[in-house]
Amino acid sequence: MDFVQSFPAISILLCLFAGIISSGLKGKAARYMNTVLILTVTVLSACTLLYTLGTGESYVYVMGKFPAPWGNEIRVGVLESFMALFFCIIMLLSLFGGMKKLTEEVEEGKVFLYYVLTNLLLSSLLALIYTNDLFTAYVFVEINTIAACGLIMIRQNGRTIEAAARYMIMSLLGSGMLLMGICMLYDLTGHLLMSNISEQVALLAASGEYRIPLLVTIALMSVGLAIKSALFPFHAWLPDAYGYSTVSSAAILSSLVSKGYIFLLIKIIYRVIGFEIFDNSRIIDVLFVFGLMGMIFGSLSAIKENDIRRMIAYSSVAQIGYIYMGIGMGTAAGMSASVFHILSHAATKSLLFIAAIGLTDVSGGSRKFVDLTGAAYRNKWAGVAFTVGSLSMVGVPLFSGFISKLLFAQAAVQNNGKMLPALIVLGISTILNAIYFMKTVIRIYTPANGTGSCVTFRSMKLYAVTLVCFIVLNIILGVSSQPVVDLIEQGLAMFS
Amino acid sequence: MQYIILAIFFPIAAGLYLLIRKESENRKNLLLCTGAFLIISAVLVVIALFLAGGRMYTLFSLTDKLPIIFKIDEISVLFSVMTIIIFLCAGFFSFEYMKHEEKEKRYYGFYLMVLGVLIALCFAGNLITFYLFFEMLTLSSMPLVLHNGSREAIMAGLKYLFYSLCGAYMALFGLYFVERYGNTLTFSAGGVISEQAASAHGGILLLVAFLMLLGFGVKAGMFPMHAWLPAAHPVAPAPASAVLSAVIVKAGVLAIIRVVYYIFGSSFLKGTWVQTTWMILILLTIFMGSMLAYREPVMKKRLAYSTISQLSYILFGLAVMDAGSVTGGLLHVLCHGFIKAALFLCAGAIIYMTGKTRVEEFRGIGKEMPLLLWCYTIVSLGLIGIPPTGGFISKWYLAQGALSSGIPVFDWLGPVILLVSALLTAGYLLPVTIKGFFPGADYDYNSLRKKEPPALMTIPVLILTILSVAIGLFPGTVVQYLSQMIEKII
Repeated sequence: MDFVQSFPAISILLCLFAGIISSGLKGKAARYMNTVLILTVTVLSACTLLYTLGTGESYVYVMGKFPAPWGNEIRVGVLESFMALFFCIIMLLSLFGGMKKLTEEVEEGKVFLYYVLTNLLLSSLLALIYTNDLFTAYVFVEINTIAACGLIMIRQNGRTIEAAARYMIMSLLGSGMLLMGICMLYDLTGHLLMSNISEQVALLAASGEYRIPLLVTIALMSVGLAIKSALFPFHAWLPDAYGYSTVSSAAILSSLVSKGYIFLLIKIIYRVIGFEIFDNSRIIDVLFVFGLMGMIFGSLSAIKENDIRRMIAYSSVAQIGYIYMGIGMGTAAGMSASVFHILSHAATKSLLFIAAIGLTDVSGGSRKFVDLTGAAYRNKWAGVAFTVGSLSMVGVPLFSGFISKLLFAQAAVQNNGKMLPALIVLGISTILNAIYFMKTVIRIYTPANGTGSCVTFRSMKLYAVTLVCFIVLNIILGVSSQPVVDLIEQGLAMFS
Repeated sequence: MQYIILAIFFPIAAGLYLLIRKESENRKNLLLCTGAFLIISAVLVVIALFLAGGRMYTLFSLTDKLPIIFKIDEISVLFSVMTIIIFLCAGFFSFEYMKHEEKEKRYYGFYLMVLGVLIALCFAGNLITFYLFFEMLTLSSMPLVLHNGSREAIMAGLKYLFYSLCGAYMALFGLYFVERYGNTLTFSAGGVISEQAASAHGGILLLVAFLMLLGFGVKAGMFPMHAWLPAAHPVAPAPASAVLSAVIVKAGVLAIIRVVYYIFGSSFLKGTWVQTTWMILILLTIFMGSMLAYREPVMKKRLAYSTISQLSYILFGLAVMDAGSVTGGLLHVLCHGFIKAALFLCAGAIIYMTGKTRVEEFRGIGKEMPLLLWCYTIVSLGLIGIPPTGGFISKWYLAQGALSSGIPVFDWLGPVILLVSALLTAGYLLPVTIKGFFPGADYDYNSLRKKEPPALMTIPVLILTILSVAIGLFPGTVVQYLSQMIEKII
């Protein structure tokens, strides 16, 4: 066994231990440690990715000494390591972009806690991505929830506490359903390791036994994870949680945390239930319909919103809808479109959140559209970045959003039954996206009568560099998407 | 390769440079820069036309199956030459006109970017490249509409944006299907839909073709998606209105030419319900546009309505799908381009010199600025279609093509509507001339003052006027060039 193979396990453990150690450090030291940690994990994930690309197949890494049916396992393929790499990059950029804001909004004595929570969050995300064991997945889902609640609540005002409580309740409901699903699966198959369960499930499906319980299990797990990832109509917790928490948290929550759950769902679909069986169950149509509804209602709520942060948050509901629509199509093309959209949305949404904070800061901290008039002239970098993010969301060619839209549409054209609803809703949703994003862009570029202060590059070097990185990432995904799409397809092929 | 890239990206880069460069007090400096950029762009386009014609260049690949391709063919030559001439004229005109407007730097920046995007549209070699720059065109031309920042302008800009995005999405919808059922997305004369696909999926492909026509028709102001045009064109500064009305809407025409003759092929669409419905929409637009223009008191709005009507002349030529009518349509692309640019520049010059915007205020204007109003009169006659101007030739071909096409009902209905609309055109354009030169006995002749606009304004108008007449006097070369090309695509 090559040494590289143990990198995923090492990254998870590193994050856990870093969390423990930083709880004894001061704010600044904790920050350095966190940065170094994320960079290390990035490098480790990149090595793993290269390794899996080289061997061309996935491998299973046994944690501890117990063999297959009992022990705990990690499974690493191209897609898993790529996701880990991508998530690390987004997390690092989100933290950098919101660092200045963080020091303003969080009490000095509590800054180290923020980094403890981020470390835990990263470890749980990595575990969700890599694990081959359903129960481990559940454990880290819970860790993820707690850490996310902390991230929302660390900026202490009434709104965030309320938001965190809401998030907690909805999220626990979701985890509960997931846990019930896992229990039932354990009951039906007698296994917790994904590969073993999937063998048994295939047998059950072939013999036609336990049809109803199996259906209920699929439903419980899908709906549970859907609640946690804020699929319409379970999105009520989202606008407050993203809208009022500190900006790094909002970026991380919207682009990583909800995506981690979706990735887990995709893994369950492929590796636990089996794509065919999932496709034959009606749950997939439910996801499809909810996805479509989310695309429209999320955007409608965003149009009504008068607060830029909450508007971006509602737009996430619509984007999550896109992802579930792709999953709901029940084809390999739809699935890879969804995975691509996970990436593209992660890159775009965190960019928007971080750009928006730059705009509100130069408008006297107000998030109302009236006050944002002309903000792009006061903070040029944020203005450009917000425009790029908006164009990507609307789906203008050359940006990543266009490629996702293209992939979704290509997948839809191949699926005769769901073609028309998917294409029509894609169209409507594009127009709705354009309405609220372009409205904002025009607003921030409308000259105002000299209110608010201008900021220069010098006063926000790190912030500007982060924005440039995000923009570049967005354009890379938009211009040369083929390698990424190939990688996703290769990775999905490895799943089954 | 490098010639095409330069011709496309030089204006875009120059525009970006103007946008990010520091606001300087020295206006002359800015104008020198812009003028130099415009002339260099024109030279680069001409070089590209001579040196890079006919071959195909791949810039990069969006995905495996979607390369960004540029290719210069006859249609590209026609449209890019027209674009560059009008942009030069309107550009130099704005040097004088924009004196009394603010934010000049932004204006010139986006003006140059629009030029680059339009050249890219002319040179685009496949549908995805075309779509890409089509979206860019909407985004880069929107600041021209928004220029004065008033509430009216912003509402008009948003209207423009949403109509265009709706249209572009309909076109994109078509792109998905063409990619699935067509042989390739590359524009090829005669179409890319194989007979096999046409027979197996005929119904859905026709629907898709219709949607694409409607979608790209938005830019060309085709009924029922025309409402943005009379809102957006008049609020822009006059030279910007000129390029919007004369060139940018032609991107919609270009798109439709590409879709009909280079993607679906006229043989696939001829005689189908798509052609019939499309022609009904076009004839409605022609009549409605003229009628609305006739009733409109504000000059620039009147010209915008006239654009709606005149563009559908071109579309009518394309929809008949007969060699003669297509020649007429393409000739009208040139004529209408020069004429409409000249008309808007005239309206702009009048606003600049006198501040008058409504037609009834134009009394006696011909006594104050005779040269300008003579130009106006000559191009107006061209738009009505009176020989020896270019408009006569193009309408001649249009009517002749329609009459000989043998499509039931439309072969006579088309020319009749063209004639009625020509009368209306006379009705809405000539009153300005009549009131301008003959203000009537009760006019106070003592208040007259010579107000001929400066040379920077009159010369571009003069050039455009001469061009529009020249096409009418010497149509031979152009017609020959066009008919050679049309032989290939029909």
